[in-house]
Amino acid sequence: MTWLTLLLDVQDTSAASYLPIAIQLIFAAGFVAAMIGMSALVGPKRQTKDKLETFTSGITTHGDARQPMAIKYFLVAILFVLFDVEVIFFYPYAVNFRSLGWAGFVEVLMFVGFFLIGFTYIIKKGALTWED
Amino acid sequence: MNAIILSALCGVVMMFSGILLKNKSAIKYVAIAALLVLIIGNLFQFYGIYTIDIDSKGLLSFDRTGLFFNTIIFVATLAYFILSGSDIERAGPDVAEYFALIFFVLCGVTILTSFNGLLMFFIGIEILSIPLYILTGSDKKNLKSNEASLKYFLMGSFSTGILLMGITLIYGATGSFGLQSTTIKSAVTGFSSAGILAPVGLVLLFISMCFKVSAAPFHFWAPDVYDGAPSVFTSFMATIVKAAGFFAFIKLFAAKSEDFGPGPAWKLILFVIIVATLFIGNITAVFQQSVKRMLAYSSIAQAGFMLFALYSTNDFTKDGILLYTAAYSFATIGIFSILTKMEDYSLDGFNGLSKSQPVLAFTNTVFFLSLSGIPLTAGFFAKYYMLASAIKGGGSLSLVIIAVLFAAVSVYYYFKVIQAMYFKEGVAATNTPITGNFKVALIVLAAIIVILGIYPTALLGFYYF
Amino acid sequence: MNNLVFLVPLFPLIGFLINGLGRKSLAKQAIGAIGSASILASFVVSIILFLQVKSSGAIIANYFNFIDVASLKIPFAFQIDQLSSLFLLIITGIGFLIHLYSTAYMTDEEAPHYARYFAYLNLFVFSMLLLVMGGNYVIMFIGWEGVGLCSYLLIGFWFKNDAYNYAAKKAFIMNRIGDLGFLLAVFWLINKLGTVTYGEVFANIGKLSHQDITIITALLFVGAMGKSAQLPLYTWLPDAMAGPTPVSALIHAATMVTAGIYMVSRSNLLYTLAPATQGFIAIIGLATALFAATIALKQNDIKKVLAYSTVSQLGYMFLGLGVGAYTGAVFHVMTHAFFKALLFLGAGSVIHAMHHEQDIRKMGGLKKYLPITNITFLLGCLAIAGVPPFSGFFSKDEILAAAYEKNPILYFLGVAGALMTTFYMFRLYAMTFLGKFRGTHEQEHHLHESPSAMTIPLTVLAILAVVGGFIGIPEVFAKDSHWLESFLAPVFAGSKALTEQKVSSHSTELMMMGVVTGLVLVTIAITWNKFSKYEATTTEETGLGKVLENKWYIDELYNAIVVNPLDALAGFFKNVIEKSGIDGIVNGVGTFINYSSRQLRLIQSGQVGAYILMMVLSMLGILLLWINDSTIVHFLHKIF
Repeated sequence: MTWLTLLLDVQDTSAASYLPIAIQLIFAAGFVAAMIGMSALVGPKRQTKDKLETFTSGITTHGDARQPMAIKYFLVAILFVLFDVEVIFFYPYAVNFRSLGWAGFVEVLMFVGFFLIGFTYIIKKGALTWED
Repeated sequence: MNAIILSALCGVVMMFSGILLKNKSAIKYVAIAALLVLIIGNLFQFYGIYTIDIDSKGLLSFDRTGLFFNTIIFVATLAYFILSGSDIERAGPDVAEYFALIFFVLCGVTILTSFNGLLMFFIGIEILSIPLYILTGSDKKNLKSNEASLKYFLMGSFSTGILLMGITLIYGATGSFGLQSTTIKSAVTGFSSAGILAPVGLVLLFISMCFKVSAAPFHFWAPDVYDGAPSVFTSFMATIVKAAGFFAFIKLFAAKSEDFGPGPAWKLILFVIIVATLFIGNITAVFQQSVKRMLAYSSIAQAGFMLFALYSTNDFTKDGILLYTAAYSFATIGIFSILTKMEDYSLDGFNGLSKSQPVLAFTNTVFFLSLSGIPLTAGFFAKYYMLASAIKGGGSLSLVIIAVLFAAVSVYYYFKVIQAMYFKEGVAATNTPITGNFKVALIVLAAIIVILGIYPTALLGFYYF
Repeated sequence: MNNLVFLVPLFPLIGFLINGLGRKSLAKQAIGAIGSASILASFVVSIILFLQVKSSGAIIANYFNFIDVASLKIPFAFQIDQLSSLFLLIITGIGFLIHLYSTAYMTDEEAPHYARYFAYLNLFVFSMLLLVMGGNYVIMFIGWEGVGLCSYLLIGFWFKNDAYNYAAKKAFIMNRIGDLGFLLAVFWLINKLGTVTYGEVFANIGKLSHQDITIITALLFVGAMGKSAQLPLYTWLPDAMAGPTPVSALIHAATMVTAGIYMVSRSNLLYTLAPATQGFIAIIGLATALFAATIALKQNDIKKVLAYSTVSQLGYMFLGLGVGAYTGAVFHVMTHAFFKALLFLGAGSVIHAMHHEQDIRKMGGLKKYLPITNITFLLGCLAIAGVPPFSGFFSKDEILAAAYEKNPILYFLGVAGALMTTFYMFRLYAMTFLGKFRGTHEQEHHLHESPSAMTIPLTVLAILAVVGGFIGIPEVFAKDSHWLESFLAPVFAGSKALTEQKVSSHSTELMMMGVVTGLVLVTIAITWNKFSKYEATTTEETGLGKVLENKWYIDELYNAIVVNPLDALAGFFKNVIEKSGIDGIVNGVGTFINYSSRQLRLIQSGQVGAYILMMVLSMLGILLLWINDSTIVHFLHKIF
């Protein structure tokens, strides 16, 4: 049980100093569990057919949500994420545009260049042709 | 730096070569040419002729060992391209992409031989791993290949998780991605008051690397993945990638060899892992009927031997791991290149190969002899160096004896193939006609193995001079 | 001139390679010419080296590091000094004559076998040269093993005959027993001194304890016993007669059996420092000399008589070594090489003429058919009997004189042996060449003198056998006339400095010489008289005669005490220990591995969930192991 005593040793800088955080975590988890448990125990339960139905803002449900979708949707979605990430990089660059100077400009140009090469490849491979 | 940049560029070039070139063999020749450029670029840096110098802010550092290891890996890949290039062409429709992915793996390797901190280490491991998941599943129409790919991905992610956890703990404890010697010291000497986070992190790092090099008991992915992946990519994974994984492993843990003091905990863990790896790899291989699966287990068993490099770190070890990776990679690449030519991957499929294809049978025998460590082949000196380093490290005679015993077991299942080729009746059929060039390449590879077996310093000579 | 040294063994090696590889395609004349010429070339180089050594002392030629492990460095080096240059001359000179002789003697063989024969012969000479030239014990050992191998190959040259193969195996095994001793001695030296180079060993001899020296010398001598056919390892040599006669000449005269003498004289300093071993050598030598001589008295096979006579003469040489007369022993090696080669080649000539009949009871009266062989053979007999002024007289006298100084008993027994030698040699001569022919008419019809390729070597050797002794004229006759002694002095200087010189008066020595010579002459006269009138009889020998005829039943004795028990033990091991014990263990291990393999395979279920579970469990295990390492280590220590 050496490790427990060590864990409680406040002198220690690395591990044991996290003890208050651990206690807090335990407290938070315990509080949530207690609240949910109590509401389940104390709250009234009246189960009717309407109450058990999926809530869809008033529209009647139809079919199953787990239907296979065409892979093309995912492909486009993922490619869009890449665009997104690229654009996100532009924000910090725009802020520091002046201070980075020409060197920064060249680096960003390279960054965009790599992206363009990637997208050229994707288009050439025909990943974006919607119709087969 | 040359190799990192060139390998990434080569990958991009290969991607586009598939669009520009319609002829599959033309793609193969482009790949070989790109690889030659890569080798030359790397040698430029090795001999200090010309280096592309980009300030990596201390994230990367290049030393002779790493650059030399790059060369071994590239040459092994060249042998692999020459021997198995036509099999890559037949593996699926996206030939250029396969080559491109292989170059990306090589890029990961070059980062792993030059990382200077856990951040680049992690990036290298991931660059190395992700293309492999794709390559494993490259046979899209084959369920087994898909299954293997998914399994590999799942378990690989799991180990990556462990790796990241380890890195996080170390970072949390030390505030840096570097490996301070105090961290390692506390880890190798077992539990101490120096703090628990960093040592635990190091153990987690260790475990995840055991996974990457398929050391027992973290080897479970290896047989299924090696068996399920298209043989030609299994060859690549089991040799070049594995060797690189080992190199990174050793670079990470043996970098501060002076700190590997008397720590009994570390030695005990390694002892257990080495013995378990040797045991599971060798014993399970005995019963396999498929040569491909047998080779998967044999690669686990060989990993047990390579782990010796971690057990004791001295001058012998560095020579040993370089020689071992070369000997093991060359022999296994040769065996796989023959295996992929076979109609039937089971042991019976090799029956009578010596009659129908004497050159294949003979070179295959040389490769298997090298794997089992018979003198006059490179494998003998590789094993010798490993065991000698363990003995020089002191106090591990029992481990060496166990290793030798398991090496004897390995002879049993390796010789089953030789027996099938030479002493059993049958018509071993190949799935494609064997070209003269292929035979010449095999003979050259076998000759290299024999030369290294007679004169191992031939390889190490390049390193030291 | 160092660069010449390597040529000596190179020529025979080239000859071996050409003849060995080209045996299917070369013509017989070419084979013989290549075989002989290579040895002749070596001989010429040897002469040059000899002259050089004579004028400017020893040459040591280092080529490369043969073995280089940790602190042990064994160079591939040749040492040509007085001793080895003398041996080089004997080996290549007599070797050449034997090669020349063989070109005619083996002419009945088909070309491939003829080539094989010459290839072996060349390899034999090559090995012997390595042995003699080597600059350290390891190179010597290579040659040592090489001659063992070649003797095996040559004795079993006619491999279609089972008995010959048996003889070859016997020679090889007996030699191997001795080699083990040699090898152990080399290991001992490496362990104690860390070097095996002669110069370094002798320079650092002070570092060896007295006990070490005794053990090393004794072990080396065990090697010499095997190679030089001393009691109790001598039995292979008479059986070695199975090989072609020139081979016997080569083994007995110039090479192989003299290796032991060479080795002991080379290590003379060690032996001088180990008086116990020296005494042992003297006793073994003398015993062998007498023992073999008694056997030779009753043998009827011409080659067997010569074989036992060789064993006996080797005994004399070892007697010489044992009493410290190193020069005498080397001298006797040389003269013996002359007359024994002569006698063997003469015997070969007889056998050739008699169409492979070797039984002297079926010969007789060959004098008029084989004039040259007759004369040369007679000269050889006179030389071996030690009749002055033939060569054997001088060398044998020197050994006996040294023995007398050590202990008169050794001397008298030695003289007895010498008389026996005289007896059986002249019995052999008389029964072969004198009297009337006792063979079949068929044989008589074909009797003829051998071709000149055979008689020339005989003549040359006869001249050498007659005059060879004059290089070592004892001091009794003229002061400082012992050329050989002064030539070899540098080699034996160390030993000489260690022993006090006890010289008996010249009058005693002269008297002893006179008496011995008289006795020898009387013996010759009696024998001549008795056996020139020999008639074939059918009466069985009885008593001692029968025992002698059967070689003291030594082969039977060895069979009874060594071979049969070994056979029985082997049978026991094979049938009981191996079948039930070792096979059981081996098969058990195999079964166990197969079983565990089958079980282990099942862990690989193929389910990722199961895999990850097992990995997590192992991870926990490792963490526990790491945290509690000291506890576990203690626990493990308690168990083991």
